[in-house]
Amino acid sequence: MRIEIILSGRGGQGILMLGRILGKTLARYTSYYVAGSETYATEVRGGDSRVDIIISDNEDEIGYVRARNADIAVFMYPSLMKNLSRYIKRKAKVFIDTTFIDIDSLREYDWTIISEPYTQISERIFGTSRVANMMILGHLIKETKIVDPEAVERVIREEMPSKWHDINIRSFRYMIDRK
Amino acid sequence: MRIDYISGNRAIAEAAIASGLKFFAGYPITPSSDIFEYLAEELPRRGGYVIQFEDELASIYAVIGASWTCSKAMTATSGPGFSLMVEGISIAVMTETPLVIAYIMRAGPATGVPTKTGQYDVFQAEYGFHGGLPIPVFAPSNPQEAYDLTIKAFNTSEILRTPVVLLSDASIANMFGKVLIREAGEIEIIDRRSIEILRKKGCEWSLDDVYEMKCVGDGYDIYVETLTHDEKNIYRPTTDVQRRLMWRLYRKIINNREVLFEYSFHNYGNKRCRNMIITYGSTFSSVSEAVRELNKNEEDFCVFKLKTLYPINEKIFYEKTRDVDKIFVVENNVGLYVKEIRSILRDKDVISISVIDLEYPDPDEIVERVREWL
Amino acid sequence: MAVAVEHPLDKYVRTEKLPTLWCPGCTIGIVMTSLLRAIDQRIREGLLRRDQITFVGGIGCSARIAMYVRFDSVRTAHGRTIPLATAIKILRPEHKVIVVGGDGDICAIGGNHLLHALRRNMDLMIIIVNNMIYGMTGGQVSPTTPLKLYTTTTPYGNPEKPLNIIRLACSLGANFVARGSATHPHILQQIFYKALGKRGLALIEVLSSCPEIFGRHIGITDPVKSFMTLRDKIKVKNNPSLDESEYDWEKGFVIGVYLDKDDPGYIDNLSLLYKSLRGF
Ligand SMILES: Cc1ncc(C[n+]2csc(CCOP(=O)(O)OP(=O)(O)O)c2C)c(N)n1
Repeated sequence: MRIEIILSGRGGQGILMLGRILGKTLARYTSYYVAGSETYATEVRGGDSRVDIIISDNEDEIGYVRARNADIAVFMYPSLMKNLSRYIKRKAKVFIDTTFIDIDSLREYDWTIISEPYTQISERIFGTSRVANMMILGHLIKETKIVDPEAVERVIREEMPSKWHDINIRSFRYMIDRK
Repeated sequence: MRIDYISGNRAIAEAAIASGLKFFAGYPITPSSDIFEYLAEELPRRGGYVIQFEDELASIYAVIGASWTCSKAMTATSGPGFSLMVEGISIAVMTETPLVIAYIMRAGPATGVPTKTGQYDVFQAEYGFHGGLPIPVFAPSNPQEAYDLTIKAFNTSEILRTPVVLLSDASIANMFGKVLIREAGEIEIIDRRSIEILRKKGCEWSLDDVYEMKCVGDGYDIYVETLTHDEKNIYRPTTDVQRRLMWRLYRKIINNREVLFEYSFHNYGNKRCRNMIITYGSTFSSVSEAVRELNKNEEDFCVFKLKTLYPINEKIFYEKTRDVDKIFVVENNVGLYVKEIRSILRDKDVISISVIDLEYPDPDEIVERVREWL
Repeated sequence: MAVAVEHPLDKYVRTEKLPTLWCPGCTIGIVMTSLLRAIDQRIREGLLRRDQITFVGGIGCSARIAMYVRFDSVRTAHGRTIPLATAIKILRPEHKVIVVGGDGDICAIGGNHLLHALRRNMDLMIIIVNNMIYGMTGGQVSPTTPLKLYTTTTPYGNPEKPLNIIRLACSLGANFVARGSATHPHILQQIFYKALGKRGLALIEVLSSCPEIFGRHIGITDPVKSFMTLRDKIKVKNNPSLDESEYDWEKGFVIGVYLDKDDPGYIDNLSLLYKSLRGF
């Protein structure tokens, strides 16, 4: 079993944090092996960022830390979408932030698309765009069930300064609890 | 003991703290700076010091100075910075100063591509300073190894009184993995002050050529000599003393090859290993994927991953390759370390597969290049 | 049989390393002796502990002082003494850390480190033995070689204006800046004595005569004549002004203490910051 995840966005959208929270949850609260990589332009603010996460129950299967055939993907921004599409499986679950990505531009891909204007919702409900990443994480876990949401909440508490716990956990729960 | 999901650079910093790091001196350079920044945050709270100096020359000499107070000391850098440090490393070799340099390789030459990877500096890490005495070089291929080998690097530097290079690269710097982090007390931490105890007690290390180290503040009489010196630390410009000194410093490392040489062997369930890929560092990541593809055709590929680049234990090389037909050495440079391997495996077919890639080399390219030889 | 007479300073000297490599008539020995006398005085007064003195020396004739004194002494590469000494001071703040070197060692190849140590008001005593030439390597130009002088690497004359170390040090924030001369050992000893009591950076430039190398270039190789030539150029002043620090072989040199203040040094600033962080 090898599960591959690609996360992509623009610097400042919180893609790296999304990846780290997910990675830490898998590492600390499941018995899976997990590995990954971060790619971002360090010199430029607002450059593209890409996170790969590989999960497996067999250590030999996670040597290569890049997705080649992703089962799950997240795009918060369109810039890398075309480039990365060749690494995404047909029918893969792909989460799209329609605040920045035109839904019509997705027609060429044979993906199972799950889309919401995450950033807009985040601004409307929580008064900031900064927790859109946690909202997506909640949605991803609701749809894929790769980890227990309780474990994610625990990691948020372990990793973030306490003043940010509440808003991040609420935004994380938002898509999970939505009927 | 805890489990975390961290990057290679973070793993180095965590392991340095667990090893008892007391002093870090550095000059910022991508892709090593986040080691520096994390330690700058953490170490002062635990009683250590992290100082940015005016350049890499100052940094390496500050690390040497710190080490002579019997404090564990390190720096982190990349190609251009290491090039400035080499004179100091030679001084550390001669004065037998324990220290650790985390060398995070990036694409070169010159300033190259600061954020991107390469394995161009393997020989520089091993031999790149005057005096012709190589020093131990450990090369992790993922964050867990970065953690474990950093601890090994500190222990080695302490017990053998030598500079040690931990050779990582830009890809591993940003590679993440599940890492088992052990705290002090859960790992064996060697301190130079325990050399005599270990010698008496008996241990796996060969310590015949290591002398006890006295530090600044231990009395008023330490003397650190950079000139050729005899066993009493007196400058003696004679061939006889030069020979004794050179061979002792050389033996001190090489006679510990069995303890220092680390590797892992992966046969992916094959009964026999007909074709072997030898690799190290971040290139292992791509190789592990390439091998899954190659093994689909029952080619019986195995992987021999080197975690120590110097010193090598030749015996293990002979053992592992005894029944192997073809050996491929895959590295992200023009084909460097393969020369070292050819000098050991003189009667084997050793094929160099050099893939120069700013990212993880494409596994398909490796498969294709290897198949040309099948 | 010759009777070995013990010199009163022998206890501070690694006598097994004698004779020194210094040429006959070299005045570095006077600098070392003045320094040892000042140290001895402070030790006897209970103001300094012998086991809390560290010497750091680089490469060059002058740097060898660190090789001959019997204290903790660390030698290192040409020009790299200051960062090494800095680290020792940070980790052993109770030590008096003394850097010794030549004008080439500290001002040329190590110039950048000097600049930053001064800026930091780093708690070091830095002694620059200025013989105005590269002695050890046989007479090449140094940053303090007088204008127009012949050296082996400026055979048509030195086109460069020499560095005024005093002005540099005073402008960058050192606590104590003085110029002494090997030709005036008593004054030198007093300067060293004062400097040993300072926090922050204490920089002492010591003019010295080098009959063998510098002497050859100026045509005065006789040790006594060489010594007297320098001595005749020295003017002693009690509290000289910065303008009087002018560095000019033709006009001569004013020795004395140019700057003496008591600002917090680097170690004070560092421990203040860390104290609030660690609570100790
Ligand atoms: C990196 C390096 N470059 C050059 C040398 C050769 N070298 C040794 S001493 C010296 C200059 C000595 O001049 P100075 O520092 O003024 O000291 P002096 O011998 O005059 O006391 C040089 C260039 C060296 N040891 N290391």
